[in-house]
Amino acid sequence: MMLNDRPYPDWHEGLTIQGVIEHMNFTWPKLVTKVNGQLVWPEDYPNVVLAENDDLKIHHLLAGG
Amino acid sequence: MKRLIKDESKCIGCRSCEEACSKAYYKVADRDKSCIKINEKAEGGFEIKICTQCGICGQVCNTGVIQPNANGVHMLNKKECVGCLMCVGYCPEQVMVQDDSRSEPSKCTACGLCVKACPTGAIQIQDC
Amino acid sequence: MIQMCDVPRYKDVDMEEIKKMQAAHVLLNKVEYEPKQIKKGYTDKLLTIDVTDASIKISDIPAEVKEKFVGGKGYCLRYLWDATNPNTKWDSPENEIVMSSGPIAGITQYAGTGKMLVATISPLTGIPIDSNVGGFFGPYLKFSGFDALELKGQAEEDVIIVIDGNKGTIEIDKAPLEHLDAHLIGEELTAMYADDENDRKHVAVVCAGSAADHCDLSMLNFTFYDPRRGTVRLKQAGRGGIGRVFRHKKVKAIVCKYQGIKNDLNHVHDISIINKTGVKYHREMATQDPKQNNMRKIGTANTMKILNDYDILPTHNFKFGGTPNIHEMEPKVFIEQWLTQGAADGCWYGCSMACAKAADHFKLKTGPYAGNCVVVDGPEYETAAGVGPNCGITTPQVILEINFYCDTYGIDTISWGTTVAFLMECYENGILNKERTGGLELNFGNCDAALELLHLTAKNEGFGKIAGMGTHKQKEYFAQQGWGDMKFMNDIAMEQKGLEYSEYGSKESLAQQGGYGLTNKGPQHDEAWLIFMDQVNNQIPTFDDKAEALYYYPRFRTWFGLVGLCKLPWNDVVPENNSLTDEPAKVPEHVDNYLDLFYGVTGRRIDREELLVMSERVYNFQRIFNIRLGKGLRKHDAIPYRSVGPVTEEEYLSRQERYDGQLVEKVGYTKEQVEQMSLQEKMAATRTYREGEYEKLINAVYPKRGWTMNGVPKIEHLKKIGMDLPELIEIVEPLQNVEP
Repeated sequence: MMLNDRPYPDWHEGLTIQGVIEHMNFTWPKLVTKVNGQLVWPEDYPNVVLAENDDLKIHHLLAGG
Repeated sequence: MKRLIKDESKCIGCRSCEEACSKAYYKVADRDKSCIKINEKAEGGFEIKICTQCGICGQVCNTGVIQPNANGVHMLNKKECVGCLMCVGYCPEQVMVQDDSRSEPSKCTACGLCVKACPTGAIQIQDC
Repeated sequence: MIQMCDVPRYKDVDMEEIKKMQAAHVLLNKVEYEPKQIKKGYTDKLLTIDVTDASIKISDIPAEVKEKFVGGKGYCLRYLWDATNPNTKWDSPENEIVMSSGPIAGITQYAGTGKMLVATISPLTGIPIDSNVGGFFGPYLKFSGFDALELKGQAEEDVIIVIDGNKGTIEIDKAPLEHLDAHLIGEELTAMYADDENDRKHVAVVCAGSAADHCDLSMLNFTFYDPRRGTVRLKQAGRGGIGRVFRHKKVKAIVCKYQGIKNDLNHVHDISIINKTGVKYHREMATQDPKQNNMRKIGTANTMKILNDYDILPTHNFKFGGTPNIHEMEPKVFIEQWLTQGAADGCWYGCSMACAKAADHFKLKTGPYAGNCVVVDGPEYETAAGVGPNCGITTPQVILEINFYCDTYGIDTISWGTTVAFLMECYENGILNKERTGGLELNFGNCDAALELLHLTAKNEGFGKIAGMGTHKQKEYFAQQGWGDMKFMNDIAMEQKGLEYSEYGSKESLAQQGGYGLTNKGPQHDEAWLIFMDQVNNQIPTFDDKAEALYYYPRFRTWFGLVGLCKLPWNDVVPENNSLTDEPAKVPEHVDNYLDLFYGVTGRRIDREELLVMSERVYNFQRIFNIRLGKGLRKHDAIPYRSVGPVTEEEYLSRQERYDGQLVEKVGYTKEQVEQMSLQEKMAATRTYREGEYEKLINAVYPKRGWTMNGVPKIEHLKKIGMDLPELIEIVEPLQNVEP
């Protein structure tokens, strides 16, 4: 599985988007998430199970004054 | 505390309230200029949007020009208002009116004109 | 949790004292003028004040200046250029402080529309510094009839300048009795020039603070009156020592008074589009902010905990990206214990983002105002991070106390945080010791010493004199004294071009290293903030991608400063459907809002590309201004190694797994080779690689920007963007073919 175009080493059966976010400690509030190019809304993060060859993108929207 | 209350089951969608409200201040019958709004529900019947005097408009106003009067009605002081329109955006019921003909928005003063115009008693003034 | 409705009003000033202060004023000059009505965002008038002879001049801003420089920062740089010459120093009488707000400034319907841009030749960098600031002064100056104000010369005794935009008067007075510290003089002049309490919101004051008489890190405070609290609040034009220039001219304050704020004082072209865009944005703020950043509750300080999680929060002079003590300063600590909730804290009307937070009736424990209960503005992220974890301090009470004193003394919290962090590392490395600091034990985390140093700096006493010089001059001084090795200090002193870094650790983001290093004024993040796009999202993996971002964002972000806008409302909240857009990072709907606002105000329809070209002209003008003053070439874009990679063994070891891994993945060693290497060898290999990457980045960025490999704008590029002004060509022509 790829996360942001880098190999994701901790993939396992049943891994969800929420699982990745927790494992990576992605605490930033504004995330834009796509699985194989398909947008996933935050309420679905715990439900979307990732396959071993999925291309996951979790983009943090920039801020900064 | 004085404020509007509603009984949507009695609303027949005649929009007399909207007309009375917009005429009161803007002198024209135009529902976009009314501080009470009647919306058709998808499942039939009508939704009545009224000002609940919740005071959120006053909380977000950093000019401090929306304050409750002795009756608990939030009144907008137009003289001091700078027309930032934050109150309009923050109104949870979306019943504050912004109109390009005026610099300041307008809000429900619980004046009761809509109540008088309503033929079915779907809106009432509550005074407690 | 403290609610706004429970905050008692602040004690009023003593009007008898105010009368005495006013009675001591000596009028030097007063003129009457007919305030020019604003038309489509512009007055087209420039106010020039020379305090040497107390002269006051009003002149027209030519159409060519408006066309090429737009307003705001563009006007500031144009008039600063015209007033100065290649030999002008920060303390030359001809150096000016120029202020301009820009065409959109002063509308009240959209968030962040009250910004003022301020520029001068900086005591820290020797080149133009520009800083943007909220508060009421920018809009009031425009309503009073002026798109820009230039302040020049040097008075003999302390003066104040008072502009009354309703009466149409400008006067310059000797003013001996007012205090220098900002929280005092702000209140004093507000009360003095208001007719009554309700009139105080019509008075805006620009002042510095007592440290600005000698400290190069000094800033300008801009006030706004808070009618709910019954007190004056402060916003800062923080960066680059503008307050030092202000006080060197012996200006104590500038007051501008304007009564009758309404939402169309700009006499805009199309108010309907402005009203609609404004309501749309406020609605978005009402519904989206609580789900996104919660800017209204905590402001930019909520960024702290998060940046700690991503190893970006500067800690111990940027050695590390986080601290195990972060829980002491999590947002909820500030929200529950310190910051007043439920206040509408915009620094200009209509700011639904309202990030100006305050701690109310904060009881000071140290310094000249110990025991007083004051309002502390902030802390903003940069302040909290800089004077906090970067100095090893994680106690919110101490951070707020430093924040208050920096503000009232007129010291820039960013430069202060970065400077003290540097001094602390010097102390822990033996470059400084107790004898050299006059007894201060400047270890990381020593709150008492940090506060004492701040008070000494304000008084210009003891080691405070050294602290007030800023990091660049400190390292030279320490080397001269034989206290430290210049090479090591160059590595750890987080300054470039003389300006202290703002508070983001950039080691793991090459693009952000460029975002700091390839700036005009010095390492401030306001040009390009790319850490997340680069380090976490991996959205700009190639040199070409990074270069494109370092071409796009500085131009886009410069535009805010041309027109009088704050950047925070652009991307600190985003529309609900932003994720569905082509480029969520650019927040396309908000960009379109800005195009609509610009059209609504000026009547000029521009597209996204034209917006960038407007900025690019001014951006290149500033670059050439730097070259004119001897600091705009490739060598000046070099950055300290602390911002690039691990300087010390301690740093390397703290992230050893990452650095060892990169030697394999990025540098090309085998795992076995890395295992055989000594720590010193690994550090050297990491350094060679990372420094090389930065050079490659520059090689990719300069051509995108239309510059030579030496960082000089090419004449053909200046022609292309319509900025081939003769005075610019004269400077860049001899450098067109000079190798770096």
